[in-house]
Amino acid sequence: MQLYLPIAELPLNLFLLLGMGGAIGFISGLFGVGGGFLLTPLLIFVGVPAPVAVATSATHIAASSVTGALTYWRRNALDLKLGTVLTIGGLLGTLAGVFFFNQMRRLGHLDLVITLAYVSLLMSVGCLMFVESIGAMLRQKSGKAAPVRKAGDHVWYEKLPLTMRFPRSKMSTSVIPLAGLGLVIGFIGTVLGIGGGFLVVPALIYFFRVPTSIVVGTSLFQILVTMIVATFLHAMFSQAVDVLLALTLVVGGVIGAQFGTRTGQALKGEQFRLLLAMLILIVGIRFALDLVAAPADRFSINATELER
Amino acid sequence: MKRWLALALLALSLAGQARGEELVLALSTREVAITSTYTGAEVTVFGHIERDARTIARTGDYDIVAQVQGPTGEVVLHRKGRFGFIWLTESRRRYSKVPLYFSILSAKPLASIIDEDGRQRLKLGLEHFLPAPTPELEERDEFGFRNALLRLRREEGALTENEKGVTMIRPNLFTARIVLPAKAPTGLYLVNISILSEGVPLRTAQAGFVVRKVGFDAFVANAARNEAVTYGLFTVLMAVLLGWIANVVFRKD
Repeated sequence: MQLYLPIAELPLNLFLLLGMGGAIGFISGLFGVGGGFLLTPLLIFVGVPAPVAVATSATHIAASSVTGALTYWRRNALDLKLGTVLTIGGLLGTLAGVFFFNQMRRLGHLDLVITLAYVSLLMSVGCLMFVESIGAMLRQKSGKAAPVRKAGDHVWYEKLPLTMRFPRSKMSTSVIPLAGLGLVIGFIGTVLGIGGGFLVVPALIYFFRVPTSIVVGTSLFQILVTMIVATFLHAMFSQAVDVLLALTLVVGGVIGAQFGTRTGQALKGEQFRLLLAMLILIVGIRFALDLVAAPADRFSINATELER
Repeated sequence: MKRWLALALLALSLAGQARGEELVLALSTREVAITSTYTGAEVTVFGHIERDARTIARTGDYDIVAQVQGPTGEVVLHRKGRFGFIWLTESRRRYSKVPLYFSILSAKPLASIIDEDGRQRLKLGLEHFLPAPTPELEERDEFGFRNALLRLRREEGALTENEKGVTMIRPNLFTARIVLPAKAPTGLYLVNISILSEGVPLRTAQAGFVVRKVGFDAFVANAARNEAVTYGLFTVLMAVLLGWIANVVFRKD
């Protein structure tokens, strides 16, 4: 059954959209990430114009992170204070992101920026996670414990001014690196149509030693607020949010996420990180191939715009 | 004075005797509605070539050529080039006022209807969908952007040539089938129909139809453009509500 999308301005199969939403939902439930880094390229692949794909992904991520954040909230696995600090930085980043997005779109560089950013981001994060999870698995096999830092042990960026205590996350640090992290994630997320969960989660674990149990819920909270604002700003300034496309994706997504969550509970931490790393790497390699391989056609129509 | 009048009358009646054909057109629809179930559409043009006792006798059959031109817009064409070991867009060209839909329909190949010179003169043929290249522009087109644009638009179905698009029902009665793709832009479509005989153009007539979003799709598109704040708030609310409902429905604890 074909469904005409009023903003994307093309018909797509309703079941394809529900299926895509479901698959992304499954992965996001499984790994506790928004799945935007898969959804945006998928949408572009089926013919949705890049700006619409990016803007509508934000809506999808907002909806799926509401579901996730509520679950973690009820389990008391969400550090609201930490989330708020991240969000404040994130909002600034989002604002800058929407501005940058439209500037690049106007100059005709948006597609290039999206591709290059995807490649560098996915490849580096994917490689880091891959190496780290393999290392963790090897350590576990040989019976050695992971090196643990002592409570008073602070890295230079944690000693910057404006120190704050986060009792839920069992840490105290300067808010500057935290807000900075939020800003970078908000910026990248808005430009690429991703929530940035796959960046926030490892960053909080490795740089701030936030307990794993708290990290996913907190990251979901930050993503939720950032993506709500991103949706709104994209609707205001890019006018590229397709509400019908978002609706079908969200409906598929929330169902898929439930199955994903259940499957995820059966996985061990290292296996889980290894799988996620592999998934991220595959998407990154796919984008990199686009850059490296000789194109079948050197020409491409980049945009057609109706004169109004 | 009387002589002049008589002469004038004579001239007039002579002119009347050598009358050309009339072309009457009717369209199956004046408006193509884009709704949620739209996946493309078809518009049929019915044409009747009217002749009477005074019309010039023709030895050959009539040939029909229909050119359909959609709303114009801007098309940006990119060309990739190699930089080190990666491929990036190295040059781009912007074409404005390009018809975003263009098609030519006939009952047999254009080349067998009218010769090259005539096609150029009457601007018949797909290559005429772009404004004629100015010498200066042509010089700068070192990469063949123009041909690439033609080829790509053809692949996208926005530029079509159908040698079976016109059906002659009778020697002077025909239909032309205009096929609109799923991605047809909204706006005014002009249909230009020419009748020719043995390569000589006889008459041209015009008709038009409109493609527009109606109902829910028109409402959404309008809201997104004109009520951006409300639209944004609504989208956000919908996302949050759906997420919350999903959480409540699937909650286990």
